[in-house]
Amino acid sequence: MTLLLENISLTIGDVLLVKSFTISIEAGEIVTLMGPSGCGKSSLLAYIAGDLTHPMYGNGHVTLDGGDLIYLPPEQRQVGRLFQDDLLFPHLTVGENLLFGVARGSLKKRQNLVSEALASAQLEGFEDRDPATLSSGQRARVALFRALMAKPRAMLLDEPFSKLDAELRHSVRNYVFAHLRERHIPTLLVTHDREDAPAGGRVFRISNKGDMILA
Amino acid sequence: MKFSRRDLVKAAAAAAFFPLSPKAAFAGNWAALEAEARGQTVYFNAWAGSEAINAYIDWAAELLKARHDVTLLHVKIADAAEVVRRVRDEVKAGKAEGSADLVWINGENFRAMKAGKLLFGPFASALPNFKYVDTAGKPTTLIDFAEPTDGLESPWGMAQLTFFGDGAKISAPPRSMDELVAFAKTNPGRVSYPAPPDFHGTTFVKQALHESIADRSLLALPAERIDFGRAIAPLINFLDGLHPHLWRQGKQFPQSQAQLKQMQADGELLMALTFNPNEPANLIASGALPDTTVAWQYRAGTIGNTHFVAIPINSKARAAAQVVANFLLSPEAQGRKADLKTWGDPTVLASAKLSAEEAKFFGTSVVPGRVAEAAPALPEPHGSWVPLLEKAWLESYGT
Amino acid sequence: MKNFLNSFAGFLPLGVLWLGPLGAGLLAVLYGALDEAAWRALFGHPQLWPALALSIGTGTLSLIISVLLAFWIVAGLYGGKLWPGTSGLMGGFLSLPHLAFAIGLGFLITPSGLLARVIGSAAGWAAPPQWVTTQDPYGLSLVAVLVLKEVPFLIWLISAQLARPEVSQLLRGHFRVSQSLGHGGASVWLRVFIPQILPRLKWPLLIVWFYGASVVDVALAIGPTQPPPLSVIVWSDLNNADTAINARGTTGALFLTAALGCLALVFAVLKKAILPSVWRYFTRGPSRRRTPRITSGALLLFFCAVYALVFAVLCVMSIGTLWPYPDLFPSELRWSAWSQFLMSPAPLLNSLSLALASTLAALALAVFWLETVPEKLDAALLACGIAALALPSLLIADGQYLAFLRLGLNGTWLGVFLAHLTPVFAYVFIVLKGPYRAFDPRYRAVALGLNADNYRFWSVVKLAMMKPALAAAAAVGIGVSIAQYVPTQLIAAGRLTTLPVEAVTLASGGSRPLMAVFALMLAVVPATAFIIAARLGRKPL
Repeated sequence: MTLLLENISLTIGDVLLVKSFTISIEAGEIVTLMGPSGCGKSSLLAYIAGDLTHPMYGNGHVTLDGGDLIYLPPEQRQVGRLFQDDLLFPHLTVGENLLFGVARGSLKKRQNLVSEALASAQLEGFEDRDPATLSSGQRARVALFRALMAKPRAMLLDEPFSKLDAELRHSVRNYVFAHLRERHIPTLLVTHDREDAPAGGRVFRISNKGDMILA
Repeated sequence: MKFSRRDLVKAAAAAAFFPLSPKAAFAGNWAALEAEARGQTVYFNAWAGSEAINAYIDWAAELLKARHDVTLLHVKIADAAEVVRRVRDEVKAGKAEGSADLVWINGENFRAMKAGKLLFGPFASALPNFKYVDTAGKPTTLIDFAEPTDGLESPWGMAQLTFFGDGAKISAPPRSMDELVAFAKTNPGRVSYPAPPDFHGTTFVKQALHESIADRSLLALPAERIDFGRAIAPLINFLDGLHPHLWRQGKQFPQSQAQLKQMQADGELLMALTFNPNEPANLIASGALPDTTVAWQYRAGTIGNTHFVAIPINSKARAAAQVVANFLLSPEAQGRKADLKTWGDPTVLASAKLSAEEAKFFGTSVVPGRVAEAAPALPEPHGSWVPLLEKAWLESYGT
Repeated sequence: MKNFLNSFAGFLPLGVLWLGPLGAGLLAVLYGALDEAAWRALFGHPQLWPALALSIGTGTLSLIISVLLAFWIVAGLYGGKLWPGTSGLMGGFLSLPHLAFAIGLGFLITPSGLLARVIGSAAGWAAPPQWVTTQDPYGLSLVAVLVLKEVPFLIWLISAQLARPEVSQLLRGHFRVSQSLGHGGASVWLRVFIPQILPRLKWPLLIVWFYGASVVDVALAIGPTQPPPLSVIVWSDLNNADTAINARGTTGALFLTAALGCLALVFAVLKKAILPSVWRYFTRGPSRRRTPRITSGALLLFFCAVYALVFAVLCVMSIGTLWPYPDLFPSELRWSAWSQFLMSPAPLLNSLSLALASTLAALALAVFWLETVPEKLDAALLACGIAALALPSLLIADGQYLAFLRLGLNGTWLGVFLAHLTPVFAYVFIVLKGPYRAFDPRYRAVALGLNADNYRFWSVVKLAMMKPALAAAAAVGIGVSIAQYVPTQLIAAGRLTTLPVEAVTLASGGSRPLMAVFALMLAVVPATAFIIAARLGRKPL
């Protein structure tokens, strides 16, 4: 699975925010994108996911495994996202949250999937818990597995660790990267903290003038 | 007039003993009363049945203000029963000043107030204009639904059940209840009547009762004294036979005479009914109905009665209320009321008792919508029948 | 100590003017419940059970349909181009009182009404069809009127929720997450948004539900008759001449309230029991269904068309006299109804004076409370307010009538004012509380730091910033007061008449043009209030 971002540019009104660039992300690779506030990095993620809204406009092709995503509505792109907030649905249990992106199937199979995921997350027995009762670290793990269980072909991480305190940050970060690599999912990580970038991975920076520079 | 001998005897007795009735409200000093009335305000609780009625009351209010400095305010009510309840509650709560000074009333509501001692009086016979009232020719001016008025209410107008519809659509109006059934059969879904306890609906039921009951003399007796269920069995039979041909197969009924009138005017129903024989003519004159409208009564007669005004016992403006009642009895006021162009409500006065001057107030115009052949006025049953009839109707047809 | 005294000042006028009449009313009605004969009479009433079924059926059905339609429209239009216009429009629709709407709609759909005439002239019908539309035995036309009125109200409530920044941000995040998990727009609404928004609306929904099941004036105008809903039976009992029947009316009101309360409890219990399995069904997997933009738009258009038609019909009705089937237009046009109305302005003046007085008093009481009483007591007052609105006005007004009888307040402007204040204050407080409490306390610090004294801060800064909220609360208060029928009719005891009282009396007494004039006036006054409120509420740029 390769995520190809070809000649992508971002405009707001008449102003070119991000100049045209091309990046190819291999399976299992985690590419980091950095830049000052307001430079458009979150908007790039939105463009890739398919819900970029007025007044921003994007141009260019997003190809996943050779297939152009441009004409697909967001919900059909199979691109997973993690945000700053874990955004677990408060009205559903942990188990129901996890199953949210999983296609219909037999009850048994679904229950098994949940148990497996919880086991991997070291959260056995948490199926029926109210998400509000979990610690932030636990919530982050549930959020990750929720995204993974939907079998995404690519992942977009929008500063997912910035709300975690320093200690937790380190362990959650490694945890997330490990699982993404294990599943060979091409990932684009947006952050403003240099520490978040995985060691050895490519880091790009958007300059003030909108150029995409490999750091 | 189809009154029983008992009625005539009662009327004669009432008329004979009237002057000797215990204490009229004042010792014959009308001028003093008029002086006392100056500046008072009378809340006249009256059914606001039509623009004509409301306009007439406004006219009366103007004259009363100009001539007697009495302010007459029309409190529009949907049913006199409201007033009965209010006055009763006020008296029970010891409220000195009542909310109603004069009420347009008759029948079972009058009976309820009289029995509950909620009325001021007797005052009616002492009103100067009472001398004009046709007590002999219109015995219902003294006996209201078989209950003697005892001077506790002053007659205001005459009423008689009358039907009307568009003559262009009705070739032969039904002139009896049996003919009505036939008419309804040929025009299914185009006939109806207001549901009791609307008083028009109750009157229709009373009319049917009158024509179907085996022994008419029972109607003058208090209902508690007879086998009510057996007496109304023919009535229920009749209605059972009529209802399937009515509007919505008799499963739903218009809720008021106003709604009935509106449905007839819209063309949804072929005929409507009213208590004021001149209302159809009045509606034509005001442009609410086309001039092909005709009005009729049943050949053998329809229920008729008198309606009155009475003074609640806790009224603070008694003097002014009496002045108003007296004014309403004046030839001028009665004449204007009877005028088809204003309201058309028939008068309680005897034309024989009027001088040439006074008779001028009453015009005789031939207008479209006037009842072609006046029919006799049948007496109302005793007031106690009404709640029982309404309950029986509700039980049989209310669900 | 100072705080306590302060709070006391916040309590006292509220207690006298609002809690007092409310409590007195409830006590009086409970006292009236001790009448055993009345209960026996109630249960002996031949129409009791069918009437109760009608009341509950129409109220519940209209609530369910309204919730479905409201969310359908919101789901389709939220975030889109039409959205800002829609929520504003709903506010406008709200200003047409139920009764006026029923009168207008009634004329559209009766067998001899406008719709039948349009179809009839095309199909060549000589006589009106034998449709069963208004006053149909199952109460469907009543449900239709309730739905048509409740949907804008619910949309307005939902949009108020969605407009709160915390809510909209959270929901936006959820939307994105859900999309990334493969859910289409409609699926997100069904599985994520509605389950989160609906619980926030539970009290307004309760109020709407109970209102629909206990409404009197609309049921009189367009509801079934044989049997009528229980509210109509209770109403005619309360207005009867016989005291025994009045007492039966009081027990009837209690019975209806109790039935509704039981039903609400049953629903609450069922919700706890059934809801988990419902959610399990709903989380069976993503669905790609998109937001229903087209159908929402169509629904919205339908609503606008109906409202516009009703308004137009009322206008024509007010000047047309002779208008029989099958004419599409009245054959005679007269201004007589309008001149009649203008010649006796008492109903309009009374309605206006009561609305203005009760709204201003409510605003003052609410602001007084919000300024002096600590926030943690808000919940208690809110609970009282919700009770005042959820309990059928039949019940409260009947109790107030009985209580005021002893105090000599019946038939006085003051009595009617207090009766109006009961629901008006509740609504005003509900609308005002959120924005008022959310006012950033740091503004005060800033103002004081700029050498303004407390009073100057309050009048120049705080009131000015609260203007939109105050204006909205005022508009709602005026609308609520103008539409009050049952309390006014009972407590004014014939001395005072207002627009809705006249309108209903006219409905029992004829003159269609005059009735239409009153219906229009009933609509115009709150509409004007809403427009003025919107103007006042607009922040100066």
